[in-house]
Amino acid sequence: MKMPRLFRTTPFRLTVLILALFASAASAFLAYIYIATAGEATRRTDRDIRREMTSLIGVYDRAGPDAVNQALIERASSEKPFLYLLLTKDGRRISGSIEQSPVENFTGQPAWASFQVTDINAQGRAVKHPARGLQERLKGGEVLFVGADAGEDEAYLASIVGALQAAGFLVLALGLGVGVLVSRNVSRSMVSLIDVVERVRNGETGVRAHVRGARDEFDELAQGVNDMLDRLERSMAGHRHAGDAIAHDLRSPLTRLRARLEAAYIDVEAGKGNAEEALAQALEDTDGVLKTFGAVLSIARLQAAGQAPNPVVFDPAELAADISELYEPFCEDKDLEYAAEITAGLTVRGNREFLAQALANLLDNAVKYTPAGGAIMLRVRRRSSGEVEFSVTDTGPGVPDEDRERVIQRFVRLENSRNEAGAGLGLSLVAAVAEAHGGRLELSEGPGKVGEMGPGLRVAFILPRA
Amino acid sequence: MRILIVEDDLEAAEAMARGLTEAGHECVRGADGREGLAAAQGGAFDVMVVDRMMPKMDGIQLVETLRREGDRTPVLFLSALGEVGDRVDGLQAGADDYLVKPYAFPELIARIEALARRRDTGSVHTLLKVGELEMDLIARAVHRAGKALDLQPREFQLLEFMMRHAGQSVTRTMLLEKVWHYHFDPQTNVIDVHISRLRSKIDKGFDRAMLQTVRGAGYRLDA
Repeated sequence: MKMPRLFRTTPFRLTVLILALFASAASAFLAYIYIATAGEATRRTDRDIRREMTSLIGVYDRAGPDAVNQALIERASSEKPFLYLLLTKDGRRISGSIEQSPVENFTGQPAWASFQVTDINAQGRAVKHPARGLQERLKGGEVLFVGADAGEDEAYLASIVGALQAAGFLVLALGLGVGVLVSRNVSRSMVSLIDVVERVRNGETGVRAHVRGARDEFDELAQGVNDMLDRLERSMAGHRHAGDAIAHDLRSPLTRLRARLEAAYIDVEAGKGNAEEALAQALEDTDGVLKTFGAVLSIARLQAAGQAPNPVVFDPAELAADISELYEPFCEDKDLEYAAEITAGLTVRGNREFLAQALANLLDNAVKYTPAGGAIMLRVRRRSSGEVEFSVTDTGPGVPDEDRERVIQRFVRLENSRNEAGAGLGLSLVAAVAEAHGGRLELSEGPGKVGEMGPGLRVAFILPRA
Repeated sequence: MRILIVEDDLEAAEAMARGLTEAGHECVRGADGREGLAAAQGGAFDVMVVDRMMPKMDGIQLVETLRREGDRTPVLFLSALGEVGDRVDGLQAGADDYLVKPYAFPELIARIEALARRRDTGSVHTLLKVGELEMDLIARAVHRAGKALDLQPREFQLLEFMMRHAGQSVTRTMLLEKVWHYHFDPQTNVIDVHISRLRSKIDKGFDRAMLQTVRGAGYRLDA
């Protein structure tokens, strides 16, 4: 039979253990009291009996058997009488308050006996009392027995033991009750956590433990479990997504490469094409695939890691100036007006290399999509929220509102830019870099439509306060 | 040049050795880390090309062992791991340069030659001279055939790198790495613009162009 869950819980087991310890201690205590008290009562009775015996033997020695008999009669009517029995040398009863000696097989040596006496109580009912007595042979050969009622002592003792027992049971019952309550309470918290763990194990990765808001260790544990699950889920999603994305992102360029190689092969075989040219083209295509692969891998690793590697704290102005210096001549060459507005003295925490690459990708995109005569602006500033914002604004065709979410996704390029070169992973990588730094990407409209230009695109790369 | 190739992918090693031999170099091959280490300890090489992940002893261990033994032969690390952290690990182990697989052959050969050259110019020069071109590193002045050229700081660094590697091809990636200190490939060729600006300053008005474009590889400064 399986024990109910409650009885298997740790708090319940602890309760039982503590109660067992308590019960043992209480029993030992009771036993000690009993032995001490009961022993003391018996010793006192025995002492009284012995004193009475000595006194009677004294009477006998001074005045003979008749005097003893007389003394017995007198003493039997006292307030708290002893029990007496005087027998002849051959064991016949001479006188006394009991009929028969409780001592069996009397050898002549002083002998103790415990026995029962029957009394008639106030209600006229026969009541048995425990009693003790001492039997001795007198000098003339007669036998004298002196006993005493032990009942009062024992009743007193019994009431103490009874009280202690009752108290013990009460404590045990209370303890058990409290134990059950505590166990049930603790158990309820644990069970919900165990349930979550069980469900996650069975693949329900979306479940979360209930945080009751008691701010106790169970809440802490539940919160910890939840945070861990969130993280794991993100990481798992990242990996799953990475697999899908690599397949998706690489399949089309590989398919294109294969088709081109096949066509070239057929041409060359037929003696039409130029093998050298086809090979050069294939090489170029392969480089494109590798570049895409590199970007996909970077995205996947950033997403899986959930954070940027080797972060350092630095002034973003230096980085922006560096990248500006790299891109400004390039823009001028393409007849694009380049401007940079860089706030100095800010700090960001991150991986320089990835952040530089993100900025470069944003500028690459801007250059790619802005027609000659346009303008590109790089700006670094501090937002009122304390976040640091890098933004690149161009005067290209921009991205329609409804497509802005989508262009951050992998490999998405809008219809009208299909013929442009480039892997299309630029913005996805930038988004992954932002996310890995605890930041985000915001796309909005550029400066608006001016003649043939615009409305432009403004991409803001926002990093949290360092 | 005597080049040691330590690479467990035999086909890749074969292709590399063939290419380097055709370029006039002598190649010795080691098929795993231990073999590579034994070869490196045995013979004097100008450059070693070491794959990072190999059986028995990986590239990092190999380079660390060599450096501990006082061997300063330039090492080019080859690796399929291209992340920032991986690169730093490789360089910290004592490698001199790091190239991510797959690589273009011109990139490989340019880097090998650059490493060998760096070894030659171990001493500190304050004056670089390539043909008619003279660069004073202290005065930060450049003259061609006695005529002063006005260069921007970055153009100066770019030319300095080209002059130190005069006669060799240098790739765009190398320039981005060594002059700008970035390890990623911009999607558009921003380096070309800087080169063409530099070229207009050093070649304009002279009848012979010194700064050449090498098709499929990069650039070369000729005396």
